[in-house]
Amino acid sequence: MTLLETIVDAPNRAAEYLRGGRAGDRFARLREDGLAVHAALASLVLLLLFPVLVAIVVSTKESGIVTGLADLVPGGNAYDNYYRALVELEFYRYMLNSLVMASVIVVGKLAVSLLAVLAVVYYRVPYKDFVFLFILFTLLLPVPVRFVPLYRLVTGLGWNNTVFAITVPYLASATTVFVLRQHFLSIPPSLVENAKLDGVGPLEFLWRVLIPMSKGILVGVSVIIFVYAWNQYLWPLVIVGDDLQVAQVGLGRLRGQAQAGEVAWALTMTGSVLTLLPPLVLLVLFRKPLLETFSIQRK
Amino acid sequence: MATREVFESRWQAAALLLPTVLVSVVFLYVPAVRAFELSLFEVGFGTGEVDFVGLENYRTLLTSPEYHLSVLLTVLFAVAVVVGVMSFSLLVSFLVHEVEVGKGLYLVSAIWPYALPPAVAGFVFFFLLHPSLGVLTRAIEPPYPTLGLLERPFEALGVDVDVTGPLEAVGPDVDWFSSGPQAFALVTVVAIWKQVGYNVIFMTASMNNIPGSLTETARLDGVGRLGRLFRIYVPIMSPTLAFLAIMNTIYAFFGTFAFIDVMTDGGPAGATNILIFDLYRDALQNFEFGTASAKSVVLFVVVGVLMYVQFRVTEEYAYYGG
Repeated sequence: MTLLETIVDAPNRAAEYLRGGRAGDRFARLREDGLAVHAALASLVLLLLFPVLVAIVVSTKESGIVTGLADLVPGGNAYDNYYRALVELEFYRYMLNSLVMASVIVVGKLAVSLLAVLAVVYYRVPYKDFVFLFILFTLLLPVPVRFVPLYRLVTGLGWNNTVFAITVPYLASATTVFVLRQHFLSIPPSLVENAKLDGVGPLEFLWRVLIPMSKGILVGVSVIIFVYAWNQYLWPLVIVGDDLQVAQVGLGRLRGQAQAGEVAWALTMTGSVLTLLPPLVLLVLFRKPLLETFSIQRK
Repeated sequence: MATREVFESRWQAAALLLPTVLVSVVFLYVPAVRAFELSLFEVGFGTGEVDFVGLENYRTLLTSPEYHLSVLLTVLFAVAVVVGVMSFSLLVSFLVHEVEVGKGLYLVSAIWPYALPPAVAGFVFFFLLHPSLGVLTRAIEPPYPTLGLLERPFEALGVDVDVTGPLEAVGPDVDWFSSGPQAFALVTVVAIWKQVGYNVIFMTASMNNIPGSLTETARLDGVGRLGRLFRIYVPIMSPTLAFLAIMNTIYAFFGTFAFIDVMTDGGPAGATNILIFDLYRDALQNFEFGTASAKSVVLFVVVGVLMYVQFRVTEEYAYYGG
């Protein structure tokens, strides 16, 4: 069974396991794997989950002060905390900004990359491979490598504090172009030959044939781009002000605003859970296309 | 011969490539080249006037003890992150590979940190290990709950001894606000935590490609679990492991800014002032644009070398059919 089937099928098989037979049988199957292995695995996974579980619990409490493990019982303040963080302290604004930034980057990157890949894969023109390498080489240029000039360029364009500043510089994507190219190269050439014989133009071929055939990959790439964009921190921090600030940076401001003593921590954890939610939900919902796409990226 | 390259219009191809190329040139290549250029100048604060100073900025870096410390810290940090995240993820992936029951659930619960925003990771750990408020701080620091287990034997003997007293003296004092090594360790742990998901994804995929017959043969030959992992699986997985080592190094150098910004602000006394944070401070707090650009160029050399190594390693494995 592949990684993919294992993960995608997890809920069904968990249900099946719980339905299947008496408790004794279930225990026997656990024993077959080795109880020690299960114990070790469970504790490692718990170690990974523990910090976020604590954050979730604290986000439901009135005060953020937890003096011992006994205090880690969910409180009844969940609604108040989430309401206060989102509405009164206006954390919803940061969430919306992040959502706009990530969505624009997803759509823009996909559109721009699809066009480029169409040229790279389906056109016979000189210097094509050179252009492909030229795009791939941008992998060598993460934000820190061009930090000061990029900052000066974007402020020079008058783009600081606009949504352009936190989206346009991200639109060119070496990885997206690479993954889509690999995928298109796996589609039989006869398809495009027939399309051409039928008089179908390149854009129509892209829209009517390639995109419908690539839904899985496109969803997977979208999730990767979304998570990447949502998790950007340094660049939004320096280039946009409070109006357009993203959720991750907003967290720090939430802590500052909520600084009225003990409440601060409950609200900061509330904000943390909120900020984690969108990428996490996408990961869980679209785990199948996501993992498929990763398996292409590695090649 | 069948070919995909059925369209020939150069204008169309150029138009299709234009958006990507334009953004790449304007926002990636030109700023990168400008960074190199700026690194040769001293940029006046506020005025933006530039003075050509040649390699002076690089000389400053070569002779700056703070920068040397930052380089050293970053290398240590990268090594700790790469070793830590890869050992932990290898263990998790291997154990998941070994079980049948609950495989999928274990995997989802190991992969999710891939989606974890770094600032969230930072804030959660800030809270968990806050020197005076943290939940874990209380568990780590003495006094530990003894439940009377230590005192009772003495009481039974009628001896009056304070056994918990000495215990309070041993054990760590969580204080990463002022202890450099503790702050460094904390940031490392958080950086590892966030990167586990990504590693488990690739390691599990790679382990699943190992033929079952090989595992069977090893079992019949009486090779134990750990023997199987280190003598059979790890060598077969080495291309993936090499790829991950590079990706994790790049992550440690470039993807960890938020942890520092949220938790330690580079301190205490520069103990967590890794290169990317140092660069940010130079550029936007000290407005030393020239020196900051020289630091950018240093980072560019780092990515360049790493990518080159990755390219060579991948090529080698592909060539020998690994």
